[in-house]
Amino acid sequence: MAASAQPREGSVLLGALGIGMFLLAWEIIGQNRWLGLTWPALSEVVAFLLTPSRQALFLRALTASLGSLAVGYCLGLVTGIAAAMLAHTVSPMRASLDTMSAFIHAIPSIALAPLFIVFLGRESTPAALAALSTFFVMYVTTTSSFASSRPEWIDLMRVLGASRLTRLRMLDIPAAIPIIVGGMRLAAPSALIGVIIGEWFGASRGVGVLIINAMQNFQIPLLWSAVVLAVIVSLSLFALLGLLQEYAERRFR
Amino acid sequence: MSATGTAKESGLPVGPAPSVQVRDVVKKFSLDDGQPLLALDGISLEIAAESFVALIGPSGCGKSTVLRMIASLDTPTSGSVTVNGNPPAALAANHRLGVAFQDHALLPWLDVRRNIELPYRVSGVPVDDERVAQLIALVGLTGLERARPKQLSGGMRQRVAIARSLVLRPEVLLLDEPFGALDAVTRRHMNHELQRIWTEEKLTTLLVTHSVDEALFLADRVLVMSGRPGHVIQSLDVPFARPRTVETTRSELFHQLQDELTAALDSRAEH
Repeated sequence: MAASAQPREGSVLLGALGIGMFLLAWEIIGQNRWLGLTWPALSEVVAFLLTPSRQALFLRALTASLGSLAVGYCLGLVTGIAAAMLAHTVSPMRASLDTMSAFIHAIPSIALAPLFIVFLGRESTPAALAALSTFFVMYVTTTSSFASSRPEWIDLMRVLGASRLTRLRMLDIPAAIPIIVGGMRLAAPSALIGVIIGEWFGASRGVGVLIINAMQNFQIPLLWSAVVLAVIVSLSLFALLGLLQEYAERRFR
Repeated sequence: MSATGTAKESGLPVGPAPSVQVRDVVKKFSLDDGQPLLALDGISLEIAAESFVALIGPSGCGKSTVLRMIASLDTPTSGSVTVNGNPPAALAANHRLGVAFQDHALLPWLDVRRNIELPYRVSGVPVDDERVAQLIALVGLTGLERARPKQLSGGMRQRVAIARSLVLRPEVLLLDEPFGALDAVTRRHMNHELQRIWTEEKLTTLLVTHSVDEALFLADRVLVMSGRPGHVIQSLDVPFARPRTVETTRSELFHQLQDELTAALDSRAEH
């Protein structure tokens, strides 16, 4: 444990350096207009994002997107994990559930979005697309995580006379938690993609709406600001769930 | 307890009658290339109630397979394994079996106390706090109840695993090289502790080991298995009175039996 601290600090430093250089390059390219008018400097985008008169606009968009994200993500999380548990405990259902989730995943969400608009309406489509992509990631990670119970633990449960359900509760779920949390971390950015695509198809507000409107009206600083906002949301969720994953690994391994 | 009851009702003699019976068991495995492998060739053995039997043999002779069959983790190709006249699975289903594996198999997310309580929780029997505390004391881990397995040494983990195997007062205790991964000093220490615990609990016990010393020190009877395909080639009743001490292991007779068993192992080991 102590030995791994040193290289980790090094890699964090290296990562920060890389990000710093990227941001600096962004700024210099923008300041000098090397890539034309559509590439603003970082400072311009930040200034635009922080303009007091636009705070309300961004806040409204952000709340709408985060709301859809929360609903869709939680829905996908619960159904994905539940389906995986069903496949694990009722083995005959495993093959069909596997096929179904792969099938759902194979349909591009951009093709599904218009269908969802017709079925569910404009306001529910972002959450529905987020739920769908979260479902797939959670189903796949949870089913494979149940294979992480070590054989000697399975033997132990058998000699103790554990029923299938007892084994699921006392062994398979706790052993799977670190991997499930890892899946939650991967699912968050893909859920956000679902939300933004859903919003493009005509939601009334949201970061996706902001992006598509700014693009169509050639509002370059607004477009970049909206994209930066989406990136910030995605990265913060990824980092937050990373902390949760670290905790889960300490606690369950 | 219930299984003993059925044994009485079915008219089987109780007391010295064999508790565990392995009769003419053959086990064939098929290898990856489809070649059949004869692991056990008609092995028979009995473990009398409340006696301690040690099974020794060269590695790969199938001694662990015998133990796994009694634990209902494996099934014979032919022949029969019974515990009190019932199939071994009945014993596990009734939560009357205790097993300590080669690998401690502790659950890393539970602390020492919770790991030892696990058989209660799996079987739905209310946790007997006094029994758990007593066993923790018996294996010398008082004060470490809240420690997690990764914070313990290898010897401590095995002691937790042994406490867990004993906690429900099982009818049959199976020990599959529980000290195999420990250094010689810790191992000897663990053998003394196990003897002390066993003398208090008096369980029908099978110990699988490749250590002649360990078998002689702990068991009432030592069975020697040949190399593959495995069968019993020698049975020795250990004459030492209990409690056995370091003095016992230094006696002339101990050395003599040790040589005899080692010779039996060597003569039939796989070449």
